[in-house]
Formats: sequence, C-alpha cells, structure tokens
Amino acid sequence: MRLMSEKRLDRFRLVEGRGELLAMVALILVVVVLPISVLGYQFVLRPALADVRTIDVMAAAPEAGGFQPDAIRVAAGETVRLRFSVPDVPHGIAIGPGLDLDLGHVDPGQVKEVDVTFPEPGRYTFYCNSWCSPNHWRMRGTIEVYDPQTPEALPASDGPDPVLESLTARGVDIDAPHETPMPPHGRPSAARGVDVVKQMGELPAVLTAPEWRRTLSPAKAWEALVTAGLSQAEAWDAVAYLWLAEMDAERLKRASTLYAKNCAACHGEAGDGQGVAARSLDQHADMNMLEEPVAFNNPSTMLGGSGEIYYAKLRRGGMGTGMPSFGPIFTPDETWMLVDYLWAFVFDLDPNQGP
Amino acid sequence: MGYRFELTRSKWLKALLKSRVFQPALMLVTLFFFVVAILAGFFGTPAGSHNFGIIFVWIVWWALLIIVLVPFFGRMWCTICPIPGPGEWLQRRGIIQRTPGRPRSLRWRWPRRLRNIWLQNFGFLAVAIFSTVILTRPGVTAWLLLGMMLLGVTLSIFYENRVFCRYVCPVGGFIGLYSLTSSTELRVKDVQVCREHTTKDCVIGTEHSYGCPWMVFPGNLERNTYCGLCTECLKACPKDNVALNLRPFGTDLLVAKGRSLDEAYKALIMLACALLYSGVLLGPWGWVKDWANMATLPQWAAYAAGFLAINLLVVPGLFWLTTAVARRVGQIQLPVKRLFIDYAYSLVPMGLIGWIAFSFSFVFVNGSYAVSVLSDPFGWGWDLLGTRSVPWTPLLPGLVAALQVALLLVGLVFSSIIAYRIARQHTRTDVQAWHSTLPVSAFLAGVTLVFMRLYLG
Repeated sequence: MRLMSEKRLDRFRLVEGRGELLAMVALILVVVVLPISVLGYQFVLRPALADVRTIDVMAAAPEAGGFQPDAIRVAAGETVRLRFSVPDVPHGIAIGPGLDLDLGHVDPGQVKEVDVTFPEPGRYTFYCNSWCSPNHWRMRGTIEVYDPQTPEALPASDGPDPVLESLTARGVDIDAPHETPMPPHGRPSAARGVDVVKQMGELPAVLTAPEWRRTLSPAKAWEALVTAGLSQAEAWDAVAYLWLAEMDAERLKRASTLYAKNCAACHGEAGDGQGVAARSLDQHADMNMLEEPVAFNNPSTMLGGSGEIYYAKLRRGGMGTGMPSFGPIFTPDETWMLVDYLWAFVFDLDPNQGP
Repeated sequence: MGYRFELTRSKWLKALLKSRVFQPALMLVTLFFFVVAILAGFFGTPAGSHNFGIIFVWIVWWALLIIVLVPFFGRMWCTICPIPGPGEWLQRRGIIQRTPGRPRSLRWRWPRRLRNIWLQNFGFLAVAIFSTVILTRPGVTAWLLLGMMLLGVTLSIFYENRVFCRYVCPVGGFIGLYSLTSSTELRVKDVQVCREHTTKDCVIGTEHSYGCPWMVFPGNLERNTYCGLCTECLKACPKDNVALNLRPFGTDLLVAKGRSLDEAYKALIMLACALLYSGVLLGPWGWVKDWANMATLPQWAAYAAGFLAINLLVVPGLFWLTTAVARRVGQIQLPVKRLFIDYAYSLVPMGLIGWIAFSFSFVFVNGSYAVSVLSDPFGWGWDLLGTRSVPWTPLLPGLVAALQVALLLVGLVFSSIIAYRIARQHTRTDVQAWHSTLPVSAFLAGVTLVFMRLYLG
C-alpha cells in the first residue's frame, strides 16, 4: 500500500466502494429475495395464476403417511388439477370408480397431474394400484364432490348394493368356505364344452333361469348337467363353456388389466395365490393379512362359490381375512367383469375368446 | 525444494487473486446454491434423487471437491465456501472492502487444548454415523447445512478470524489433510525476505487487506494443511513475495515438521470411513444399510458403536501393530508412537484415492440426475431449462469398476512410495527403509484388496 500512489488508492477505494454496494445487494438478493421469490411463486403466485384450482397430493406408502392430504373436497362441475408427487417408492395412481383415470406409475421425485371435472356430487377414491408396501391396500384417499348449491350437505350415498342386500336377506355367509364336492380331475375346457352343449340341445332348467351364472355355483350347475345325463368330464367342460361364454376379447382385456393392477400382488398373476405380497407374508406380520390369499386356479375351493359371492367379497372385502374392499374403487360392472375373469383361472378359454 | 511452477507469474491471475472482489464474488455464487439447497431440503420433494439439496450437495459438490478440487487445487473449496461467509462479513462489517480497524468479535481466546483437529475428527465422525440418513433425506441435509452456517456465525461472534474453518469444520479437517497431496500450493517465494520484513503485513493486515484469517504466518508455511487459500497474504505482501505454485503431487507428505497425532488419526479415520461407506452403501449387506438408515434406534446404536470402534480402535490398532513391526524390521530407533504418526501420512494418498474410487460408484451412476434437477430443483414439477424429463442414465457403467481398480492400484503405489520415503527419513540405509516399508505396504495392499472386493463384488 505504501507503494501505491494516493491517486491510485482513491480509485481503488472507489471501485471497492461500488463493489461493496453491489455485493450487499447480491447478498440481500440471495439470502432474502431468493427464498421469498421461490416460496412465494410456488405457494402463492403459481396457484393464483393457474387456470384451475390445483391440489397438491403427496403420495407416500401408508407407513410413511399415505396420501397427504387423504381427503379432498371439490364442487360438482369444478375442474381441479390434481398434482401427485411421490417421495419414497414408485406408486401407481388411479381415481375411481368409473372414471377410467389411471395416471400409471409415478416414480420417486416425479410429478404427475391430471385435470378432472366431477359433474355430479358423489364420492370417489384416489388410490395406489401398484404394490408399494405391505400396507399397500391402505393407500387410499377420498374425493368428496359436493353440490355447490348446498356445499355443507354431504354427498348422497350410493345406497346399499342390491347383490349384497340379497345375499344378506338369504342368510348367505360369504366368508364361509365354498368347497367343491366333486372337483374336476383335469382343467375343464370351454372349447370342448361348446360341442357338449350343442349336442345336448336343451339345458337343465336351473341353467335357463335369469342371472343363473351369477347366482349359481359351477358345482351346482355341474350336478344338474350330470343329472341330465352328461359324464362328469363332459359336464365340467360344459360348465367351462357356459361360465365363459359371455367373455369377449375386450372385456377380457379390461378385466385382465384391472386384475393385474389391483389383485395380482396378493393372488398372483397366474391366480395361484402366490403374489409378491403373499410371498412376503412371513416378513410382514404387521400387514393385517390374516389368511393366505385365495388361489383362483384351485377348482376345489373355487367352483363351489357363486359369482355373486365373489362379487360381494370384492366389493365389501373379506371380513378378517385381509382382503380389502374394492367397492369404493370399482363400478358394479367392473366388479362383475373381474368376477367373470376369475373363472378363466380354473377353466380353459375357448381360443376364439382370447384377447 | 522440488520442482515448482509459479502460477502467479501470470499477470491476470495475480490481478484476480489480488482483487478484493475475487473471493467474495465466488462466495456469493456458492451461497446462492447453498440457499437453494437449504430451500430444497426444507420445502422440496423428499425424494432425494429429484432434490437439489441431495443431488448438488452429495453428488455434484462432492465430486467436484474430492475428484477435482482437493487433488489438484488443495483447499480451493475453502476459498469459495459460503459457510463462513456471513460470520466473516459480520466480523469485517463488509463483504469486499477492507474496513478500517480490527475485525469485530468478542475476542475470546480459542482453548489451547482445541488448537488441533481433534474436534474436526470427532465432528466428522459425528456426521459420518448419521451419513446414510443425511445423504438420502433432503430435510436432514438442509438442517446440517444451516446448522454449520449458524455455528460459523456464532463462533465468529465470540472468536476472531476463521476459528470455525480452522478448528471446527468437519469438512475442512479432511480437506486440509488431503491437500498435502495436491498439486497446488501457496508459499512465499523467498523465506529470507519474510524473515527480514519486520512489519509482517500478512499477519496483521494492511489498509486494503486483512491479516491471515486462518492464523497462519505465510513465511513459515511448509504444508497446505492450514492455509485456506483466501489470498489475503498475497494482497497484503508489499514485497510481492507470495506466490501460487504448481508442484508435484504429495510434496507436503514428506515434510516432517508439523506431523501430529490428530492429523495421523484424521488419515486413519478417513481411510476407515472410505472403507466403511463402501461396505455399507455399496456392499451386499442390506441389513447393515438398514441399521445405518435408522431402521430402529437400537440397531442404529449398534451400527454407530461398531462404526466408531472400527474408526477409533480397530483400524488404528491394526496400523499401530503394522508400525511396530515396521519399526522392528527396519531397525528404527524412534518410539512406536512417533513412527505411527509419521507412517500415517503414507495413508493419505490411499485414503484420498479410496474416496475418489468410492465416489465414482455413485457419481457416474447417479450424476445424470443433476440434469433434470437443474430444471426442477425442488421437485415441484418446474421445468426451468427444459431438462426436467431427461431420464436417469448411468454414465459408463461398464468402465466404472475398471477405473476404480486402476485408481486403487495408483493409490497403492503412490502410498507405498511415500511410506518408503518416510521410512528413509528415519533409517540409515535404503535396505532398512525397504524392510520397514514392507509391513506398511502390506497394510496398504490389504486395504486395496478390501476396496476391490467391495467394488468388484
């Protein structure tokens, strides 16, 4: 400094002085303005500028808090943007019933959003449809769609399910085992059953009654066909055909997707009861699965039950078994589609029906 | 003195380093990223792979630090580190200009017992036992960064200069030690000039520069360990006697003056931590990772106890035995403790290269997350640069293991050469030095094999 002339020193101080001011401004920008701007934009400005109301939902595994928030209120007719972000493990996000809204996989750190308008008041469920933890099935949230004219009023209930009502009225215990008295030795085939039914001409009376496929168990139908003169194997083939006859390729495909996303984790992709969740039962005693998942490909346990019993189990859940309730997720038609699909695990499809 | 190339012969570099704007400007830039990391930690997505705090602190910054800055530029990170900034600016009542008078503080005296790096050793271990949690949870990272800055500010209120950097910062401790290997140094050009210069402007400051905030007298500087490269001495020296030099790697490791037990332990702790991190984070033992990740408190406590025992007892114990054997076969008359300290410096290249090899595992594999995080630093669905959707792409997955092996072999050779040259400082003949080096080299070879086992599976 002593070597520096006074003139140069003055210039030096001037430059330093200006730099100091700039540095102070930069410091304030970084420490004060930056946080306020970032948080203000994200939490105040961005929602205010959005063309629709945006609801941020954190989708975490149930043991990490599940959906946050897990209850959303929306006015009927209002379009909302649901923005899902995932903090922990991949989840599958879907909204039902009957909306056909499946956002697919959302990976940790990924953000997926969807604009939804609910035209009528009612209740909907957003849920995870990808196995994410031992408590996967608990990962659900509700959307309550209210009437904007009466925002305080709760949405009207869908009312009791007529199938469940009917079963209760008849005193049917849907949780009881439904063993098949005389199960088939091999796999009954719908392709062979076509010819058997054609040759038979007229079907027994029980198989012509309305709704027979839903109220009658395959085992009962088999008994009727054997009584009508068919051999045991022919009767099972005929049953396979009759139970799968209404499955077309499109319904099979839709049901197969629903099954893969919602059922296979426990019941296995092959319907053998050996899904990933079932395999980890020993490691996860806390998962509230008190019974091993049912094997749909086992004719001894499957063919003694009727379609309506499986429908009821799906919609209501299995009491004390760990089977969750899918009523808030599937429409009745989707539920029937799944029930029909279950028969394809014990019967061989006619190749012409396949998807 | 070996080969040196004076970088400050370059006029523009010298002007840059002499400018008072240079360091604060860089600190403000890093402070910007620091604030973004803290915001992302507190308010951004908890998914580490999409959070700026995790990706830019533990992958980008870490890679820059350990692979580039420390080996080549020594303590250059300390030049631009934002953590001591606010505290120092409070002391100086300014950011750039030299404010008249001494920097303000309560001027407490730093306890004599803590004038070493033991606090940094234990601070590093304290952070290390939580590392699996810190490295994966943005909120914890944010608390750590904020906590370090607040600690820096607090200490600068009570103590003069950069007490936090010199004695407390857990990162500064190992940067200082590993800077012994780096290819850059700040030194005086002619020691005699400093001896004859009575005003010692570099220590007390001048009208336009502060006295060394790292409490170092540049005239005595023979090792990089405690020079924070703040370049105040370069600005202060009226004799133009301070230079920034390029030099051979590892030069300071052979400087006997200043070797101490705290630094020796730092070398051992860093080596042990590199091994343990490689085992916990990359090894096949999922249960260890669960324990480290605080699956349950008792499991974590057991992990922490094991971690500390390996760092403080097992590895130092094994090295003590190695040193005792080396002393006997090399017929060295020094006490084992003295030799233990000296030989520990031969572990520095191995430790640094072990950390670089460990870092390759995740820098190459997960580095691509940085591209999408730049566009969406908080994981809120922003797309600032249009790169949010760039998918995760591991870089050179087939080459990483080969690079690690090559590096480790370089580390083994480098460390063995240093061990031999340290041995030669205490033996009368080359043969004695070779004999004494053998057990140390065997220890180093064992470490190399463990690293390789972990990286190659």
